[in-house]
Amino acid sequence: MTALERAIASPPPVPGLGRRSPVEGLDRRSVGFVDVLAQSVSAMAPSAAATLLPALVAGVVGSPGGTLLALGTALLLSLLVAGSVNEFARRIAAAGSLYTYVARSLGAGAGMATGTALLLGYGFISMFALTGAGHTAALLLGRATPASAAAPASPLLPAAVIAVLAAVVFLVVAGGVRLSTRVTLVVESVSVVIILALVVALLVTVGPVDVGVLSLEGTSPAAFAVGAVLAVTAFVGFETPTSLGVEARRPYSAIPRAVRWTVLGAGGFYLLACYSQLVGFRALGLDITSSDSPVDDLASANGVEGVGLMLDVGIAASCLACAIASMMALARVLFSMGREGVLPAAFGRTHPRFRTPLVAVAASVPVVAAVPIVTALAGVALWDAMRVLLVASAAGYITAYLLACVAVPVLLRRIGELTAAVGLRAVSAAVLLGGALVAYLALEVTSERWAGVLVFAVGMAAGGISYAIALSRRPWLRATIGVYDEPVAADVLGAGSAPAAPGGE
Amino acid sequence: MTWPGPREGQGLPGPVTGGRAELAPASGPTAPPAAIELRGRQPKAIHSALSVIEEVARSGPGVTAQEISVALGMPRATAYRLIALLVEDEYLVRMPDLRGFALGRKVVELASLVAPPPPPRAARSVLDALRGHIRGGIHLVRYDGDRVQPLDLDPDFPLTDEARALRELDASAMGRLLLAELAATGQPLPGTLRASAERVIEIRRETESAGFARQVAEFSRGYGCIALPIRGPRGRLVAGLALSAPATRVADPGDVLDRLRDGARSLEPLLG
Repeated sequence: MTALERAIASPPPVPGLGRRSPVEGLDRRSVGFVDVLAQSVSAMAPSAAATLLPALVAGVVGSPGGTLLALGTALLLSLLVAGSVNEFARRIAAAGSLYTYVARSLGAGAGMATGTALLLGYGFISMFALTGAGHTAALLLGRATPASAAAPASPLLPAAVIAVLAAVVFLVVAGGVRLSTRVTLVVESVSVVIILALVVALLVTVGPVDVGVLSLEGTSPAAFAVGAVLAVTAFVGFETPTSLGVEARRPYSAIPRAVRWTVLGAGGFYLLACYSQLVGFRALGLDITSSDSPVDDLASANGVEGVGLMLDVGIAASCLACAIASMMALARVLFSMGREGVLPAAFGRTHPRFRTPLVAVAASVPVVAAVPIVTALAGVALWDAMRVLLVASAAGYITAYLLACVAVPVLLRRIGELTAAVGLRAVSAAVLLGGALVAYLALEVTSERWAGVLVFAVGMAAGGISYAIALSRRPWLRATIGVYDEPVAADVLGAGSAPAAPGGE
Repeated sequence: MTWPGPREGQGLPGPVTGGRAELAPASGPTAPPAAIELRGRQPKAIHSALSVIEEVARSGPGVTAQEISVALGMPRATAYRLIALLVEDEYLVRMPDLRGFALGRKVVELASLVAPPPPPRAARSVLDALRGHIRGGIHLVRYDGDRVQPLDLDPDFPLTDEARALRELDASAMGRLLLAELAATGQPLPGTLRASAERVIEIRRETESAGFARQVAEFSRGYGCIALPIRGPRGRLVAGLALSAPATRVADPGDVLDRLRDGARSLEPLLG
C-alpha cells in the first residue's frame, strides 16, 4: 500500500480544480435514494397511465395479446434508453438532466436542442398533470356538495382548483428539495396503493388466469408498432432524477438505480394493470376500447361500489405528484441555463435558506398554471386541450431521449471508456427512438390532436431561434453551456493544498 | 501486479467465501458479470478494487480509466465497473475533463484502517538519538505476517526505491531479515517472491551468522543497508531497525553496529 500511503502523506497537487462548484447554492448531497426514486416514479404518473393506457393501446392494436406485447416492447425500449441515460448519470452529477449530458457530449447546439425538447416535455406534462388534478378534484368537490352538482358545470370551479393546486406546487417545489421529494413520495404512494388494490381486487373477482387474453388475432405489424410507440409515452419521465445530480446523496449510484427501478417497476405495474383490465373485459364479454373509464366500468360490473371515487382520488393524487416532480426538473434545467448565461442570471439564483432555484420556480409555475386556467375559463373542452399538450410533451421527451442516446457513444469514445455492449445499446436505442418519434408524429399529425405536433414544432423552432439570438450576443455561451457539479479542490485527497484552477477565483 | 496482497496466486481463501465459493465457477474461464463476481468472489474483487486505488495513487491525478485497465492488465469492462463503484463511494473522483481520475478525500479513511499506528514517542526519541549520532539513514519498519510496513523512515535519507524495498523481500536488507525469519520458522513464503529456494537458504545463512541482514548495491551502486532484528515476546520478529549508508560502511560497520544493537535493544520493550 506504499503508493497510496505516499499519496496520503503528501498528496500530489491536483490541477484544474476550482474552489467552488458552478452549481453551488443547491442543497448539495442532501436527499437519499428513496427521495430520488419518488421523483422519477411521480414524474411518470403511473396510476393515471395504468388506468388510461390499456384502452388507448388496445384501441390501436386490436388484440389483447398484441396490447400486452406492445407494452412489453415499450418496456424493453425504455430499458435500453434508461441504460444509456445511466451511462451519463454514472459520470456527471448535473441539475440540467439530459440537457447538460448532451451539451457535455455533442456540444452546446445539440445541448440546446435537448434542453428545448426537455422544457417542452416537462412544461406540457406539468400543464397536463395540473389540469388532470384540478379537473378531477373539481369533480370530487362537486360530488361532495350535492347542491353544486345540480347546478350547471361552471368553468370557475376547475380554474380555481387548478390555481390552488399550482400554488401548492409552487410552495412544495420552492420549499426545499427534501420537502418536494417527500410530498411526492407520500402522494404518489397513496395513488399507487389505490390503483394496485383495485387491480388486485379485479384479478381476484374474475380469476387470475385466462390464456385467451394472449391472442394476437387481428393485429397487423403496423398496428402493433403504433401501439408500442403509444405505450412508450407512458414511460416518459423516468429520467427526471438526473436533474437531482447535485442534490442526491450518492448521485452516481442513487440516480442510475432510481432510473432503472422506475422503468422496471412501472413496466411491471402497467403489465399487471393492463392484463387485469383485458381479462376483466373478456370475462364480461365487452370491448375494452368502448369504455371511457375501464377500471370504473369493470368494478361496477363486478358489483364493487365506490370505486369511481377511489379512482378519482388516486388519479388526482398521481397528477399532483407528477406536476410537482416535473416542475422540480423543469426548474433545475432553467436554473442550469441561468448559471450558464443562456437565460438571465437571476434564473441561476437560489434561495439562501431553502436552497432551491427560487427564481426559476417562481417564473415557471405561473406560466404552466396560466395555460390550463385560461383554457378552462375560455370554456374550451379542458380534456381535449390537454390531450393536445400531451402530444407536444411526449414528442419533447422522445426527442430529448433520442439526442441523449446519440450522445452516449460520442462522449464515451472521447473519454476512452466506450465498450462494444454499451455502444450497441445506445445506438439501437437511438435507432428505435428515431423510428418511434417519426411514427408518433405521423400518427398524431393526422389525428384530431394535430395541433400538438404543431405546438411541438413551434416550440423547438422558438428554442432554436432564441439560442441563435443569444449566441450572436454572447458568443462565449458555447463554452459555458453544460455546467454540472464538478469536483472541487475539497473533494480530492489533499483538500486545500491544491492550487485553484488557473484564472479561477 | 504490484499490489503486495496476501499470497496472491495461492488459490482463493475458501473459508472466507464459505458456501458461496461453490456457486462461483471454479475456474471462471469466461468473465462473469462483475456484479456476480463481486458476490461470489468477494476477496478477489476487494483486491482488484484496492489495486485500482493503488494504481491511481501511483500514476497521479488525471490517469484515465483506459490507462488503469492497461496498467493492471484488467479487462476493460471490469476496470470501468470497479472505477464506477469507487467513484460512487467517493474513493475516486472523476476530474472535470471527465477522462481522468484523482484520489478522493475518502481514501484517508481507508488508509487509517490499514496503516500501522505510529510508533510511540519513546521509540521516536530512540530513533532521534540514533539519527543524531550516526551518519546515514535510520529506518524503522514493522513486520506483519509476510509484509514489511514502514513505521518511521528517515526523512533526511529517503530510500532509493521505497516501494521495492518494502515489497521485494529478497532485495532489501529489511526484507531479507524477514525472509530469513520466515525460512527459519518454517512459515510460508510470500507468493510474489521471485528468489529461488537456494537463494532463500543463502540469505538465511548469511543473516543468521551475522546476526543481521545486509544488502549492498541492490538499489544504488556504492550504497547498501543493514537491518537488525527487534524481537517481541517468545522471540518473535516484530520490527526491524535499518541503516542505509555507503557500501564501505555497510561492509564494515565497526562501532556503528554496537550503537545500532543498543538502539534495537532499547526499542524492543517499546515495540514488542
